[in-house]
Amino acid sequence: MSPSLANRLRIGFAIGFAVLTAMAVIGVGRFIQQRQDFEDAIARSYQVEMAARVKVAEGSGGKVARDTVAVQAERREELRDQISSDTRDTAILVAAGLIAGLTGALLLFSGLIASMRRPLEELVDAAGRLAAGDRSARVEVGGLSETATLGAAFNEMAGELELEASRRDRLDRLKDEFVLTASHELRSPLTSVQGFAELLMLERDSLTPKQVETVEIILDNCRHLVRLLNDLLDLARSDAGRLAITPKPTRVEPLIDDAVRTMRAQTEGAHQILTQQVEPGLPLIEVEADRIRQILVNLLTNAHEYSPEGASIEVTARVVDADVEIAVTDNGPGIPETQLEHIFERFVRGDAGLTQRVGGTGLGLAISKSLVELHGGTLAVESMVGVGSTFSFRLPIAGEAGGGGPARAIAEAS
Amino acid sequence: MARVLVADDSETILLLLRTRLELAGYEVETAADGQEVTERLYKGDRDRLPDLLLLDAMMPRKSGIDALRELRAAGVDTPALIVSAHQDATDANATTDLEVSGYLTKPIDFDRLLDSIAELTRT
Repeated sequence: MSPSLANRLRIGFAIGFAVLTAMAVIGVGRFIQQRQDFEDAIARSYQVEMAARVKVAEGSGGKVARDTVAVQAERREELRDQISSDTRDTAILVAAGLIAGLTGALLLFSGLIASMRRPLEELVDAAGRLAAGDRSARVEVGGLSETATLGAAFNEMAGELELEASRRDRLDRLKDEFVLTASHELRSPLTSVQGFAELLMLERDSLTPKQVETVEIILDNCRHLVRLLNDLLDLARSDAGRLAITPKPTRVEPLIDDAVRTMRAQTEGAHQILTQQVEPGLPLIEVEADRIRQILVNLLTNAHEYSPEGASIEVTARVVDADVEIAVTDNGPGIPETQLEHIFERFVRGDAGLTQRVGGTGLGLAISKSLVELHGGTLAVESMVGVGSTFSFRLPIAGEAGGGGPARAIAEAS
Repeated sequence: MARVLVADDSETILLLLRTRLELAGYEVETAADGQEVTERLYKGDRDRLPDLLLLDAMMPRKSGIDALRELRAAGVDTPALIVSAHQDATDANATTDLEVSGYLTKPIDFDRLLDSIAELTRT
């Protein structure tokens, strides 16, 4: 059992108090005694002098009585000197005692503080490491019982945290595995549904218009399911640190052409004006082309689906500092500020009556953000209700120092 | 008429593939897993090898990748297409020496599949 701080303090106080009290009692006692003796001696001296003066007055004392009167006066003088010197000595004694007691107390306290300091410093250090993510941070339990108790409590808490974190890691891994497996297992039946529906469509001439419409609905939903599965798979990979890219020097213009071509039929169907404005002479960028195309199609699909008929959608690309900035701007309804801060979260979708015909998965922006970050950039949004929205991201120019290693993966989730 | 050996552990998908390929004018044989593929090719007359293999990457007993590895080791150089649930399922690095002619993911894009088959079986 470690000594307790409270016990040490108690003992220290008791000793200090006893010493100081003793000094005070001795000092005051001595002072009173000396004063008493002094006053008795003075009184006695006056009595003797008075007796001598009476004799002188009666004329019976002669010379002896006259001398006595003179001697007593001198004696009182001596007594007064004596008492003041005695009082000074006593005061010095008491003061010395007080100083000694206080010095002792001070030494005791500084000793106690010193013995608490090391465990406390260790505790502060361990708490810092724990906060910084070092789950194995612990302190050595020892010293005073208070710091020992504190240390043990800290260790217990750190242990709980470590256990909780490893449990969470395990659940996260299970979740990722589950999504990967589910997405895998769902593909076979989906292949059948889509494949047989397509088979029916090969014979559309012998189907009634109603049947053709029915099969088209099946196929539409198959495509939606595939998109959802692909998006979920990308997110699970990203969470598991398995989403990897292989960046290569890539031309910007064909990427944008491609994405715009992919979207053309849909935007024209909604009489939307889709344009592109690419700064001439753009340098190559260090990216994985398929992934950038995926981001662009995601952003263009959002612009298309959330904007009304006849809206304008523009893709721009220009050099900003050492990056190429690509932006997708629409003059659609805009995004309210309350939704803007959640826009990159999973399954968060813009509301408004538009959602009716919006066929997204609610995962597109979350994935696009991961993919942009994987390329070392950030996906930003600016929007004003009634004016429109701009989603933009920057990508590194190829061949720059530090730009693009062979392959990058999202930092392993620790 | 070109002959295609199709292997998948799902009967429904086999039926789908058979129907689509036969509609496109191919002769189709089916196998339920990699084991069946290798057994059939070993036992069968070497002169009657199919013109193309269409193998699912993941199958019980023996995967399409493992079957193809055995066949290549045995000197069978029939062109092969690998179908996988998604691109994660097949590690392209693990199959570089198998002379795979193409990879497809589910759900199968039949336009792409039929283009590839036509190209690989052109004589």
